[in-house]
Amino acid sequence: MSERKDLIQDIVTIEASHLLESVSDIKSEGYRLGQACATKAEGAVEILYSFEKDETLKNFKVSIEDKDPEIHSISGIYWPAFIYENEMHDLFGITFRNLALDYGGHFFKIASETPWNPVEDRGAKPREASGKELKSAKTDKENKKDKVDKERKGK
Amino acid sequence: MPGLKIGKMIMRSLGGKPATLMYPVIPREWKERTRGHIAVDMDTCILCGICGKKCPTDAITVDRDAKTWSIGRMQCIQCSCCVDVCPKKCLFNEATYTTPDVYKIVDTFEKPEDQGSAANEGSLKCDDTCVFCGICAKKCPQGAIAVIREDKKWEVDDDKCTRCGLCIEGCPKKSLKIE
Amino acid sequence: MAKRTIIPFGPQHPVLPEPIHLDLVLEDETVVEAIPSIGFIHRGLEKLVEKNEWPEMVYVIERICGICSFGHGWGYCKSVEGNLGITVPPRAEYLRTIWHELGRMHSHLLWLGLLADSFGFESLFMHSWRLRETVLDIFEETTGGRVIFSVCKVGGVRKDVPDEKLAEIAGTLRGMIPELKELTDVFLEDLSVKNRLEGVGVLSTEDAKELCAVGPVARGSGVRMDVRLDGHGAYADLGFEPCVEEGGDSMARCKVRVRELFQSIDLIAEAAGHMPGGDIEVKVKGNPSGEFVGRMEQPRGEAYYYSKGNGSKFLERIRVRTPTNANIPALVRMLQGCDLADVPVLVLTIDPCISCTER
Repeated sequence: MSERKDLIQDIVTIEASHLLESVSDIKSEGYRLGQACATKAEGAVEILYSFEKDETLKNFKVSIEDKDPEIHSISGIYWPAFIYENEMHDLFGITFRNLALDYGGHFFKIASETPWNPVEDRGAKPREASGKELKSAKTDKENKKDKVDKERKGK
Repeated sequence: MPGLKIGKMIMRSLGGKPATLMYPVIPREWKERTRGHIAVDMDTCILCGICGKKCPTDAITVDRDAKTWSIGRMQCIQCSCCVDVCPKKCLFNEATYTTPDVYKIVDTFEKPEDQGSAANEGSLKCDDTCVFCGICAKKCPQGAIAVIREDKKWEVDDDKCTRCGLCIEGCPKKSLKIE
Repeated sequence: MAKRTIIPFGPQHPVLPEPIHLDLVLEDETVVEAIPSIGFIHRGLEKLVEKNEWPEMVYVIERICGICSFGHGWGYCKSVEGNLGITVPPRAEYLRTIWHELGRMHSHLLWLGLLADSFGFESLFMHSWRLRETVLDIFEETTGGRVIFSVCKVGGVRKDVPDEKLAEIAGTLRGMIPELKELTDVFLEDLSVKNRLEGVGVLSTEDAKELCAVGPVARGSGVRMDVRLDGHGAYADLGFEPCVEEGGDSMARCKVRVRELFQSIDLIAEAAGHMPGGDIEVKVKGNPSGEFVGRMEQPRGEAYYYSKGNGSKFLERIRVRTPTNANIPALVRMLQGCDLADVPVLVLTIDPCISCTER
C-alpha cells in the first residue's frame, strides 16, 4: 500500500515582492500550475497559488491589503493563469499588472461590483456568517412577490 | 457496405421492443430507495422544529402554536437531511415524486386534536451530578435551557421545551431526564 | 491578403453543447484566433458558505453540476475531513470509489452520445444514451436518485449497500460489455467518424504541458497524469494504471475515454469482490479550522477543493477549481488553424462542463 501523497499540503507564505521569483524557480523545477484563489480576511486579501508535480502539491500564499489590492500577474510565466486572475479581478477587485489576456472586469457577468470584497467592507473584518437570519430575510422578500403558492391540507 | 459498423445494432433494434416507456399511460416502477417526497407521521411528531432548522433550502416550516408542519414541495431538494436528524424518526422518504404544477405547492399537516400536549409527558429535570458545562444549552434547538456557570444555575423554560431529547443525549454526565 | 471576419459563436447555438462564447477570427473558413468568454451561468455557489453550516454545505456543492455530481460531493467531504484530521473507515472508501467509477462511466457514455450528435450521427447518440440508462438504474437502486445522489457526507457515506447487491451490480456491468464493445467499435473504426475525428485539433505534448491541460485532454497527448495515482480512496489497493494515448488529435482523446470506460468496469468488479467489512461512517466532533487543499479525478480531469475554516459552524471559504477551467487555454490553442465546421467537435472533445467552471 503506497503512502497517501494527497495528505501532503506544504503551504508556504511568501511576500508579494518575491512572488515572481519563487514562481519562476518553481517553473524551472518542472511544476505545473494547479489553481489560484483568493480569500477575504481581516483587512487583507489572501491569494493561494497551488502547483503540482508527481502527485505532490506545493502552495504559495500571498497576503495583500484590501483597500486597493494590486499584485503582479504570473501569466507571463504561466499563460493559463489569466483565467484565475480575471475571475479574482471580477469578484475581489484585485488589479493584476501585466495580465496577458485582460478582460477589463467583464469576464463574469455579475450584477454588483466586486461582490466578494464590497467597497464598504474593505479594511474591516469579513462579515460574520449569519446563517439562518440571512435566509429568512430573503424568504420574506420572496413571500411579498410570490402570492401564487397553492396550499394543500394533508392528513 | 464498408464502414457501416453500426448496421448490426440497427438491425437488432428494428426487430426488438422499444427502449422507451409509454409514460404516463404505463406507470413508472420506482425502486425501493427512491427518495421521491418526504412524508410525515403526525402522531409521533413532537413539533420540535429541528428539521426546519437543518433544511438547506428552508422548505420546512414548523408552527408550534398552530400545531402544523408544512413543507414547500417545490422548494424541497430531496436530500433527506430532515429524515436523518429527526429525534423521533417520524419523517421518511416515499417513492413517488411531486407532480408538476403551475403553482408552488405547499403541503400542510396538522397534529390530531386528541393528542395531548408535550407537557403530559413530564418535564425535563437535572440532578446533582450536573457540572454546568452548558452543552445542553448549546444543543437545544428552541433555546429553552439557560446555564450560568459562575452562579451554578441551571434552569429550563417548560413551555419552550419540546421533549425532543437532544440535551439528554448530549449530556456528558448523564444528569438529565424527563419525568 | 485574405479578408478577416469575426464570427461570434455561442452561447446559444444549435450545435454547441455548452453555453460558452467564442469570438472566432476567420480567414476564409479557417480559424486564425479564438477568444473565449464565459460567465453566463455564474451563480455564486461558493458564497453560500455564509448561509449553510458545513455539514449541510455538501448538498449545495454536489449540485454544482449534474454530470460530475458525486465527484464534487466526495471532494468537498475530503477537504473538510482533511481539515478536521479524521480518517474514514475502509468500507466507506470502497463504496465511494465504486460510486465514483459508476459516475465516470455514465459521464463518458453521455459524452460519447454528444460527440456523435455533434457530427450528426443521431442513431449512435441514441444508442449510447440507451446504454447509459443501465448505469442510472444502478444509481437509483443504491442511492435513491438518478443524477444527484446525496449519499456522501463528512465522515463517511449515508447508505450502505449489501455485498450481494454489489456482486449483482458487477454482474450487470460485465453483461453490458459485449454491447459496449459494439458501440465503441463504431466510434473507433467507422469510416465517417474517422473522417471527422482523425487529425483534427492536434495538441502536441509540449503544448499540453505548457498549457497545464488536465484529464483526457492531457492523457490523449501523451502526458501521464492522473490524480488517482496518489493513493486516495481504494485506488491504492486496486492497482491502477492511467490510459495514455499518443497522437494528440480528437481520435486519441476519444480512445482515452473509451478505454477508461472499460477500465471502470474492471475497477468496480474488483472493488466489489474485495469489500472490507465494518462501519460506513465515523462520528465527527468539533468544527474545522485551518486549511486543506484536496484533489479529485473527475471524469473531465483534475479538480481542486480548497476549504478554510475558523473553528465555527460556518466555513470561511470553499474553492472548487474544475477541470474545464484548466482546459480552456488548451481549447484556444487547439482552435488555431482548424476549419469552421470543426469548431463544435473541438469544443466537445475537451468535454466542457460550463456549470462547473462558473459555479
